[in-house]
Amino acid sequence: MSSLEFTRVSFRYPASRLVLRDVTLNAGAGQVTWLFGPLGAGASTVLLVAAGLAPSLTGGTLEGEVLVLGTAPQGQAGRAALQGRVAYVTAMPYLQLSGMAESVFDEVAFAPANLGWSRERIWEAVPAALERLGVAHLTDRVPEQLSGGELQRVVIAAMLVLQPEVWLLDEPSSALDTVGRRTVEALIRAEAKRGAAVLLATEDAELGLTVADEAILLDDGSTVARGAPDELLGTELMWEMGAGSTTVAELARAAKQLATVPSAKLMPPYPLTFEAAVERWR
Amino acid sequence: MIQFDRVAFSFPRNPVLRDLTLAVGAGEAVGLFGANGAGKTTILRLCMALLQPESGSVTVAGRGTAGLAPEDLAGDVGYLFQRPEDQLIRTSVRAELAYAPERLGWSVEKIDAAVGEALATCRLEAQAETHPYDLSVPKRRLVALASVLVTSPKVLLLDEPTALLDRNARALVADLVRARVAAGTTVIAVVHDPVFAIEALGRGIALGDGRVQEDGSVEQVLRSGVAGLGLPPSALAAERAGVKSASLRMRDLAVALSKRPGVGGS
Repeated sequence: MSSLEFTRVSFRYPASRLVLRDVTLNAGAGQVTWLFGPLGAGASTVLLVAAGLAPSLTGGTLEGEVLVLGTAPQGQAGRAALQGRVAYVTAMPYLQLSGMAESVFDEVAFAPANLGWSRERIWEAVPAALERLGVAHLTDRVPEQLSGGELQRVVIAAMLVLQPEVWLLDEPSSALDTVGRRTVEALIRAEAKRGAAVLLATEDAELGLTVADEAILLDDGSTVARGAPDELLGTELMWEMGAGSTTVAELARAAKQLATVPSAKLMPPYPLTFEAAVERWR
Repeated sequence: MIQFDRVAFSFPRNPVLRDLTLAVGAGEAVGLFGANGAGKTTILRLCMALLQPESGSVTVAGRGTAGLAPEDLAGDVGYLFQRPEDQLIRTSVRAELAYAPERLGWSVEKIDAAVGEALATCRLEAQAETHPYDLSVPKRRLVALASVLVTSPKVLLLDEPTALLDRNARALVADLVRARVAAGTTVIAVVHDPVFAIEALGRGIALGDGRVQEDGSVEQVLRSGVAGLGLPPSALAAERAGVKSASLRMRDLAVALSKRPGVGGS
């Protein structure tokens, strides 16, 4: 059984057109599933619906069946059953702060404390989660005074501490420096290896390519294709639907369009990585 | 245009800048690089008089910021926050874009013309009557950028202008910033996106330990490896494959690659 299943799901926000149209998808335990598409394709909305936040928090109308760990996440019963088992990380980490913690430690301890964990368990788990995200040095800082990238890592740590069965990650590296980015890449892979299902929405093709087992392409609220990231990203389809690909693929495609007599070396599938491009262009 | 003289700044229990001195000339386009927490946003906030230094002085557009409030600088300096919610306050995109020109006392005709142009250049015409908070976060960020560009300030302070945007929107922002720089605007942008920095900015400054660690062209700073920086994989691959390009910009790299014997040329 998949950890997360959407069957013919459609969704509209209040007074908006349909932003998800008849979407059927699933994400398995131990897998990183990447939602990718141009602006407005619906990837963030899939996460909000899976987290049970749409429509309960956003308003709007939901049709179709959504199951997370076998439970519908909408409504009080679903939320109760999934409490502490599903980690949602918004693209805007500052919106995710509890607003009630005076230190980073308290922020990361917030959910465990609310779930009734013992003091000993919290004191063990919180420092470990901060350490994994490389932010142990921020333990005593005031969350509201952190930089964007520091905050992003703290918010992820505040979910990691729960050891969730499902991760819903929206642009988790958007504010990160190089070191933070590598930390989050490693964390995503490690969480999948631990057995968690990871559903990742990102515009960052390099991140998706590095961590994902499978990519689902979305366009205007519909799923267009699904497959191995390294196969999909090299195709012309990525450009036809406006999603784009890695910077290496972008360069390859731009050169193909400029070349008077393009050789096979410039034809799709485009190279995606530094190594593949050097091999091809040398 | 912007001068930091021996500036120090701390948050409680957290020193951010120590003895920072730097000068940015009129028309320069500078990328601020550095690890998370290195003080990049703090520098922008000091420029906008959103913060005041503990010691040292900050001068922007010929005025010392000591004793100034952000609104005193609003005619000359535009500020794009990392969080669009920090600056969007009106109920439609069009009204939002009109806010700063209204506060600056522009005529109705001038406001209409400037708002119309900003909506067009930022590709927001279809959203003009929408509430900014009914837009997706990336679109909201474009609204915030348009609201900064609408008054054509002499100085643009941009905090991660391409974060959360898709490929097309990132390219649009790079074009907009490059056009402003060509028209003489001074830009300081906090950046993690090396492609944007190469496309739109000229100079790079890497910060670390509260001070300037590296100062040179964007290319030099990316190559320095400070704070884990590096060239984007596209530029690195072209270089390693022996492609000779006029610059690291995507267009120049693509031209060079397309002419390479055995690849795109004859």
